Amino acid sequence: MQAIWHILTTQGDDIVRAIGQHIGLSLISLLIAAVIAIPLAIILMNHQRSAKVMLQITSVLQTIPSLALLGILIPIVGIGTIPSIIALVIYAVMPIFQNTYSGLTTIDPNLEEAATAFGLSRRMKLFRIELPLAMPMIISGIRIATVMIIGTATLAALIGAGGLGTYILLGIETNNNALLIIGAVLSAILALVFGAGIDWLGKLSFKKAGIVLATLVVLIGGFAGYRKLAHPQTTLTVAGKLGSEPEILINMYKDLIQHDHPNIKVTTKANFGATSFLFKALQSGSIDIYPEFTGTVLESLVTGEKSASHDPAKTYQVAKDALKSQHRMAYLKPMKYQNGYDLAVTQQFAKKYHLKNVSDLVAVEDKVHAGFDPDFHQLKDGYPGLSKAYGLKFASVKTMEPSIRYKAIANGKVNLVDGYTTDPEVQEYHLVVLKDDKQFFPPYQGAPLMTEKLLAQHPELRPTLNKLAGKVTTTDMQKMNYRVSVKHEKAAVVAREYLKSHGLLD
Amino acid sequence: MIQFKNVSKQYEGNLALDRLNLTIPSRDFFVLVGPSGSGKTTTLKMLNRLIEPTDGNIYFDDKRIIDYDLKQLRLQMGYVLQNIALFPNLNIQENIAIQAESLGWPRKDRIARARHLLTQVDLDPDQYATRMPSELSGGEQQRVGIIRALAIKPKVVLMDEPFSALDPISRKQLQDLVLRLHRELKMTFVFVTHDMHEALRLGQHIAVMRLGHIQQIGTGDEIMQHPANDFVRGFFQNEHAPQPATIQQLLNEGYGQETTGPATLTATAPVSELAAALQHAKMAVVATSQGNRSLETADLLDYLATKEAD
Repeated sequence: MQAIWHILTTQGDDIVRAIGQHIGLSLISLLIAAVIAIPLAIILMNHQRSAKVMLQITSVLQTIPSLALLGILIPIVGIGTIPSIIALVIYAVMPIFQNTYSGLTTIDPNLEEAATAFGLSRRMKLFRIELPLAMPMIISGIRIATVMIIGTATLAALIGAGGLGTYILLGIETNNNALLIIGAVLSAILALVFGAGIDWLGKLSFKKAGIVLATLVVLIGGFAGYRKLAHPQTTLTVAGKLGSEPEILINMYKDLIQHDHPNIKVTTKANFGATSFLFKALQSGSIDIYPEFTGTVLESLVTGEKSASHDPAKTYQVAKDALKSQHRMAYLKPMKYQNGYDLAVTQQFAKKYHLKNVSDLVAVEDKVHAGFDPDFHQLKDGYPGLSKAYGLKFASVKTMEPSIRYKAIANGKVNLVDGYTTDPEVQEYHLVVLKDDKQFFPPYQGAPLMTEKLLAQHPELRPTLNKLAGKVTTTDMQKMNYRVSVKHEKAAVVAREYLKSHGLLD
Repeated sequence: MIQFKNVSKQYEGNLALDRLNLTIPSRDFFVLVGPSGSGKTTTLKMLNRLIEPTDGNIYFDDKRIIDYDLKQLRLQMGYVLQNIALFPNLNIQENIAIQAESLGWPRKDRIARARHLLTQVDLDPDQYATRMPSELSGGEQQRVGIIRALAIKPKVVLMDEPFSALDPISRKQLQDLVLRLHRELKMTFVFVTHDMHEALRLGQHIAVMRLGHIQQIGTGDEIMQHPANDFVRGFFQNEHAPQPATIQQLLNEGYGQETTGPATLTATAPVSELAAALQHAKMAVVATSQGNRSLETADLLDYLATKEAD
């Protein structure tokens, strides 16, 4: 509870922005879906066979899992807001269409006959009789669609459209239940509020409901238009993966670029998505720069060169060349810290057996009870390779979820865990990271990635971003991560403080 | 004037109407009566083209109805449905004025017309005009249904078994109402019913129908007194006209005074003979097995009044 309150007070602005994005995304999708579904149902109300076909189609669309649908859309329309809206519209069309159609076709035939016999025009019959009579059904269709859209819109965060899903994803990713609850509860509240709002709208007369809807459209459109117009100069979008570390980095990029080049405006998109989304976004031009790890480049972004060297400089060079030749991308110089695997023990344990390096473990291997992430336990780059390289065999090894690992070592259930070098928990639980003295773990160094095209247009970016080259030690990063993800300080503030204290910014 | 000339309607091998010929004079109260499946409703709905004939022609004021603009035709024909079918989303005055609205009358005129019509059927406009249909009783709803058909002063009003769903008291009130309206408005009323009693009560001319054929057309009297065939006779007697009451039934109820005067009637004679006798004299004397009894007009009226109330 306290954690939730803390996040709400420190990140209030961000949360409000996420709610805004969520509402915008949902309302736009809902309006588009209604504009498609309702006229379609009206057209098809007297064509039973076509209507049945249409119902089938919309039902089939409904059964596509939302994740799969997003996946299908990415190669076609890229990532961000547009595919999210398309996906949401596809989901919302079915309940609206179905309810409108059955609302229009289940009107008492006597009323239809009366309207016909009175010589009412098609238009008047529709607007004066049929639509008002079908309205309760249409409203409930829109209601269902709204609740569904608001729920599904949380997935939009996966492909960089923002919204409350950002908090849910981030909460899952970082095992931060407070964030998860904030995201989930707020979207539930949104769904309730919108459901009630739609009920209220349904009770209004046609004219009033129309006015309310038109006002909403104008407001949203005006807001979006204003935001477009308000950014006249060159705008670069710097995005980051999920988590605190990328968010700190992109804020550093932003500060550096805007400081050196006042004509460039930088927008940051924190928690934009996972590796492949970001990379595709970079290729499609939806984003301009994002920080990527050398190890990850070799592992998943380029082909060949899989067996990475354990020398960081070599790894960077190989990654840089492969990105250039395979994707025409520019990979600027990396920072100092490495965010690779490591082994951590408690201070007590380290002191007792004088542990500094991984090779020191050999002497006490029968006293080590390890807790490993399942991936680490299996991967060639993990425990199997490590045990071969150092000739290690621990007394016992348990596999456990990444987030539980640290709790297990804090509670004394295990006395050694794997981790990432910059994990804030190292500081939080006062752990000691052992030095990989045989350089077994593949190096993961962060460096700015962008297209060659962008760098050609803005060559001034190179010297600016290279100011970070060789800066930021592993301990620096750990401390900053701790402040942002455990203490919930703002990434922008933490980033700026670092830049200032290291003379990179005045 | 409406004329049907050799009009047939075929439904997938089933002949619903077979070469129907029919003339409905202007301003007539014309009743189509018959059991279900006789084709009476089909005949009615052909007039406003809710149903199109498969053969033959229908003329309205000497012009084929298919040559009329459909909307113009329908706007000249009011329509009252069996299920009343007031639009539940519109209030009473909007329901009444729906055709006027479709003709583009100004709102003020529409409301004035609706209120005027409401007063004509004894519904207080201040109380009823803005209520919703669901707040009215069945009888009140059908009153509105009837005046809705009259709103734009059509030449013809079509009524499709409008009272069959109502209770007997409301039905009788509404029968009186349509008779009054017909007298006042000088429109042609075409009325469908399966109830011979209702047909006799309302119709200036009655067409008795059966299985898509007209059995007989005539005034109520003509049909009662000279049924064209056994079906008409049977329909009249069995379905809705019980054996006429005899004078004996009056006597059984305790009407009449003992008298020694000469008898002119027998106890087994129908009540109508008593009524005929009373037209010419103050009292009539009936011979019974227990001696003669005299009956007065007041006795007959009392008796009929209690019967009616049953």
